[in-house]
Amino acid sequence: MSWEMMAVFIGSTIRLAAPLLLSATGELVSQRAGVLNMSLEGMMLTGAFAGALASWYTGNPLIGLLFGTLAALPVALLQAFFSITLKANQIVTGIGINILALGATTLAYREIFGSRSSEAIPGLSKWSPPVLRDIPLWGDQVFDQVWLLYLGGLIILLTALVMHRTALGLALHACGAEPRAVDKSGLSVARLRYLAVLFSGLMAGLAGCFISIGDIHTFTEGMTSGAGYLAIAAIIFGNWKLGRMVLACLLFGAAAALKFFLPAIGIQVPNALLIMLPYVLALIAVAGLIGRQTAPGSLAQPYSRS
Amino acid sequence: MSLSFLQRVPQPLLRPLIPLTAVLIALLFGVALVAATGASVSEALGAFAEGAWGSPYAIAASINRSLVFALVGIGFVLAERARLINVGGEGQIAVGGIAATAVSLYGGVADLPLGLAFILPLLAAALAGGLWGGLPGVLKVKAGTNEVISTLMLSFIGIWLLYWCVQSSALLRQPMSNSGTLPESLEIPSSTMLPFFFGDPSMPLHVGLPAVLVIGPLVALVLWRTLFGMHLRSVGLNQQAAHRAGMPIARTLILAMFIAGALGGLAGGFMLQGEQYSLKAGFSSGFGFDGLVVGLLARGSIAGVFAGALLFGFLRSGGIYMEMVAQVPSALVLVVQGVIILTLAAVTLINRRGEAV
Repeated sequence: MSWEMMAVFIGSTIRLAAPLLLSATGELVSQRAGVLNMSLEGMMLTGAFAGALASWYTGNPLIGLLFGTLAALPVALLQAFFSITLKANQIVTGIGINILALGATTLAYREIFGSRSSEAIPGLSKWSPPVLRDIPLWGDQVFDQVWLLYLGGLIILLTALVMHRTALGLALHACGAEPRAVDKSGLSVARLRYLAVLFSGLMAGLAGCFISIGDIHTFTEGMTSGAGYLAIAAIIFGNWKLGRMVLACLLFGAAAALKFFLPAIGIQVPNALLIMLPYVLALIAVAGLIGRQTAPGSLAQPYSRS
Repeated sequence: MSLSFLQRVPQPLLRPLIPLTAVLIALLFGVALVAATGASVSEALGAFAEGAWGSPYAIAASINRSLVFALVGIGFVLAERARLINVGGEGQIAVGGIAATAVSLYGGVADLPLGLAFILPLLAAALAGGLWGGLPGVLKVKAGTNEVISTLMLSFIGIWLLYWCVQSSALLRQPMSNSGTLPESLEIPSSTMLPFFFGDPSMPLHVGLPAVLVIGPLVALVLWRTLFGMHLRSVGLNQQAAHRAGMPIARTLILAMFIAGALGGLAGGFMLQGEQYSLKAGFSSGFGFDGLVVGLLARGSIAGVFAGALLFGFLRSGGIYMEMVAQVPSALVLVVQGVIILTLAAVTLINRRGEAV
């Protein structure tokens, strides 16, 4: 294996992990606050579609990004309204929203793009940090990424800071662990949880845009193909901790990158096995085979005072 | 929301009323969407009816679909009695399909008499699905693993396991004669195919229909009239109390998940031996998730499962035909389904008032 191939492999690992990183960060905040937001997949797909649509229509990928990110918000609001205000079953709601989003984006795509579906869509540009870009080989293959990825890294750092160093983060954590205590302290559990779910919507929108106008520069029906579920698997495998979750996303990204990499170096491994791997790892993790899993205590439980 | 008038409606009337309203709202929404796409509503509805029940073949195809949804839904309702949510139908169908294919093709059953040729693969499918469903039950009991998460993960694993099986010649892929050989299994021998109810290929209703018509009432009987049914209910309502009363908690939970999984696996066997005859990637095609929704719609009643299964079976068939004839994307059916699920999730609360949530 040459150094160059190694660099290509690392570069594509990061690229394939990016949508997972973005969406899982939002989802983690939501789950920490006690809402198991299963509609992640639907929100990503909505973001991917709206981003592609606006970018194609205006010719400006930045407007696409803005539109795609905002488009995921109503979907998040729907999930929040159902799981917080109506206290409906969060998993059921999530599955419903995912089916709805798949149907709606497919329908809208056929209606709007129709026969023009093969047209290229203007995409986000790439960027690499100064100094790092001058490293031979790595500068081109590893660090030259869609700038949204670097923005995502920044957001993840900020999220870590807010969740672990501020009163807001403490309150959000408490919402998922001891919502009653939050309520008694005079804060609104509902308001905090709404905030968390809307944040996960924003991040899912970004993640969807990364896939459609960042990475692939087009939209195809159901193009997120389970990335939302994979992000949830990364959270489980990361034991609901941000740092470990980031590593899990990178690991899942590497598994996806191996699909292209292994045949290139002459190793034949069934594709399906590599695609399956993240889910198997998440299952092993959730089965408690690698240390105790500590999900937030009130995850997926609606809060009511009585 | 001022829905208090609903509380004065007698319960037996209210129970079916709620899902019916949800379905009605969603269907109206679907019709409005058809109009919004600019297609002719009458033409689209005509195509829908043609595809769903326009010919004996269409009716049979719709009902065969319904059987799959019904089996998954019945399993869901059974597990739900113990407050277990089985979202693993998709994976259970997949492993059922794999097992049915493997036994039909390579189990040496093709020449067996008395219908064993098609019964044994079905049993293998049920067993595979049962193990796939039982594992989350074991994990729940041993490690406290949330069954929603484990069944969901196992669904994805099952889907890709199937993909692997049809991609690899060492597993179930047909022998490669040239590079154009499709990644799918051989067709199963005709003796392992489910016999048609009327012996007539223009009305391809298979023997799964009577089987499901027996299984449904049987499960209802088990739920309401047997000790196991009472255990399920008690464990679901209050595990501690059930434990103090000396009920076998672990066994009940695992068995509930096993049976739910076995019904999902059987559904996979029906799909393979009754319709598709060879295993291909994308075999389960969302049927497991549809079945899950049917189970949810049913709100704990087996009769409700049958109603929901028929609705979705005809809805799917009609939607596919509508796309072919009236150029209305069948994704519309997905939208209608999504609206049904959400409306239902919202209105469930009206009915639940007064109960512990």
